[in-house]
Amino acid sequence: MENAVKIRTENLCFSYNGRTILRNASIDFAEREISAIVGPSGSGKSTLLMTLNRLWETIPRCTLRGRVEMKVDGRYYDIYEKSYPVTRLRRQVGMVFQIPNPLPMSIYKNVAFPLQLKGGLAKETVSARVEECLRKARLWDEVHYRLHSTALDLSGGQQQRLCIARALILRPEVLLLDEPTSALDHATARAIEELLLELKQSCTILLVSHYLDQVTRIADTIIELHNGTLVRRGGRT
Amino acid sequence: MKRANEQAVEGFFVLSAYFSALLTVALFGFMLVLGLPLFAEGRIFSIMAQPWAPHLGQFGIQPMIVGTLAISLLSMLFAFPLSLGCAVLISVVSKGKVSWLLRKTVEMMTGIPTVIYGFVGIFLLVPLVREFFAAGSGMCVLSASLMLTLLVSPTMILFFCESFARVPDSYGKAALAVGGTEVQKFLHVTLPNSWPGVVIGFTLALGRALGDTLIALMIAGNAVQTPGSLLDSARTLTSHIALVFAADYESPEFKAIFACGIFLYLFTTFLMMAVRLLGVGRERWAR
Amino acid sequence: MGAVRRLQEVGVPFFSWLCGVLLLGSVIAVIGYLFVHGWRSIGLSLIFGTTPPLDALLMKRHVFNGLFPAVAGTLSLIVLSVCWAIPIGMASGIYLAEYAGPGTKAFLNLFFDILAGLPSIVVGLFGFSATVFLNRLFPGSIHPCLLISSIALAFLVLPYIIRTTQMALEGLPLSARMTALSLGASKLQNIVHVLLPQSLSGIVSGVILAIGRCAEDTAVIMLTGVVASAGVPRSLFSHYEALPFYIFYISSQYTDREELATGYGAAIILLCICLVLFLLAFVVKRQVSYHALYRA
Repeated sequence: MENAVKIRTENLCFSYNGRTILRNASIDFAEREISAIVGPSGSGKSTLLMTLNRLWETIPRCTLRGRVEMKVDGRYYDIYEKSYPVTRLRRQVGMVFQIPNPLPMSIYKNVAFPLQLKGGLAKETVSARVEECLRKARLWDEVHYRLHSTALDLSGGQQQRLCIARALILRPEVLLLDEPTSALDHATARAIEELLLELKQSCTILLVSHYLDQVTRIADTIIELHNGTLVRRGGRT
Repeated sequence: MKRANEQAVEGFFVLSAYFSALLTVALFGFMLVLGLPLFAEGRIFSIMAQPWAPHLGQFGIQPMIVGTLAISLLSMLFAFPLSLGCAVLISVVSKGKVSWLLRKTVEMMTGIPTVIYGFVGIFLLVPLVREFFAAGSGMCVLSASLMLTLLVSPTMILFFCESFARVPDSYGKAALAVGGTEVQKFLHVTLPNSWPGVVIGFTLALGRALGDTLIALMIAGNAVQTPGSLLDSARTLTSHIALVFAADYESPEFKAIFACGIFLYLFTTFLMMAVRLLGVGRERWAR
Repeated sequence: MGAVRRLQEVGVPFFSWLCGVLLLGSVIAVIGYLFVHGWRSIGLSLIFGTTPPLDALLMKRHVFNGLFPAVAGTLSLIVLSVCWAIPIGMASGIYLAEYAGPGTKAFLNLFFDILAGLPSIVVGLFGFSATVFLNRLFPGSIHPCLLISSIALAFLVLPYIIRTTQMALEGLPLSARMTALSLGASKLQNIVHVLLPQSLSGIVSGVILAIGRCAEDTAVIMLTGVVASAGVPRSLFSHYEALPFYIFYISSQYTDREELATGYGAAIILLCICLVLFLLAFVVKRQVSYHALYRA
């Protein structure tokens, strides 16, 4: 059975510095699936992710046309609508980058940071959520005894799992991953793949990946971009 | 609630920025208003051209303008080749640790207080000048410009070094690849390609030389006269402000110092505009 | 061609070494002269005179023949000016780096460039004329004093703090900017929790340089309330002494060898303060590049 559409882009056109990156991209992403976005470099994969949580707005000299709709509580909203607060959107749509980006603070504070920004939660709740997410990200066993030491001393794979845990603590409905394993060794990459398969129970996952084997292993839908537009869409084969 | 707090803080950012900008204008405005009587009487030009002779009722600042220009231009005459030489020494001739050490020393020089130069000037340089030329008190245009040279050189040297470093490496490699030496590379590639930076460095240093108070005040002698030679005593606009300000608020003497202030303001603003027109990256002004 | 070339190959290095030796020689002469003539006066009595140091620090007794009042004056001046300049300077820098559009930025930067280039005596004259102006409005209430001087000095160092804040923030990589935003931080939260902490060392080294400027400036305070002898500043509205002004004053008004020796001592102290501040800024800056390297 096909899952319902979680995110739908319509005629998305994006340009940076006058150069067109996305051309009329109209793509549906199904709920609680792993959709892999593939294509040659420069085809607009990372840009597509950034249009979904409006992160491109921090980059100067960018323009965007088109619509992005997301299903929240059974209804579709235009995420570029003025009344839709961008901070709320970014709490619902988590993102993990290619290069792990822990903040220069302790492991605990890194994971708790999004909750701290949101505010209004009791200390005990926060620490329970931190543990829950570190367990989900399979990092708990390695760090539980040194939660208050700096996150910058973790290995690359640990840092990336920390970033996933940090993205999960807001209980996002969508998780955007921009080549999350390309900076990691093979074994660590496999561990993260396992993790993603588990996460798709609760989360819609969009994964940009260069590795064909990885894509065929875990993706439910494969979306191929070329020159900023959708050229092929298929299931796992 | 939270949003309101954020808006308040962001409002503070905006206000601060415009306040600081407004301050720059207000500074000029104040001097203009307090010096206004001069303009109203149409005396601003005569003030610029007349000598200072309070007993004759003349409050011209012409000697001070000449003094300022003489001292600062002379110091630039010394400082420019000196700085260029030092910059070449740091960026081209010396290597590794020596170059690093020289650069750090020059950077450290920017931290030496002006008053120290003035103080040592009085007790070391002025007697030397007096003995050497066996004329006058030694407190003269020459002494002041020599000390001023030490003050403005570091600014120029650091600026020159940075302009040299900004010339793309590929240009230099091309020169070396056809059998050029490091010196040839510098003369034919680096220097011609960094001249805007060199001009800007010169301009900034000139601004600093014009605006300095303490060195001229302490060792130029402060005589109110148009200096006729390097060994004559002279008074700069800045020293004039420092020396006259205590007089009666309503007196024409007092109003004349605002003419000095306005002149200095306009001159440094003009230099800054020139720097901007030459396309300076703002990060490049040092001190 | 050969002769010209050979001349260049020898002449350019020769000239540059000559310049280097000349400059270094002069600086060493200046600093060396100061220390050779002044080292004898360095000691506790230079600062506290004949008063027991503890009594002076606790303000139990006045110090008459030491530099204590001047040192105290300079320190209070620094603290006050930096207190005025930091909030406004940092806020302006943040606005420039994070909020202003390209046009606004260029427009405002024009003013800050002009402000940065103004001779300090002009800023001093502004402080003084503002005092005169206020005194006309409210006769007898405002005179040149510590408060006026510190505000004028704050204006002088404002552009430094604005510029270093702006530069430090603009120098952060895009990835550092995006981290917190992608986690749902608002623009201000991103600035406060991530961007400012990460650019702190750059800002701090700017503040240290500003402190150095406050410590050494003489022209501004000359016009706004410093005097040769006032004792330790009692309030914001009192006259005060300061090290650089003391050095200036002694250089022309000294009456005996002992006073002159104190002048040398004061010059050494001031020089050391400024050099230590310079070193501090250097160390802090090194920390920055280390940090940047680590994150790359």
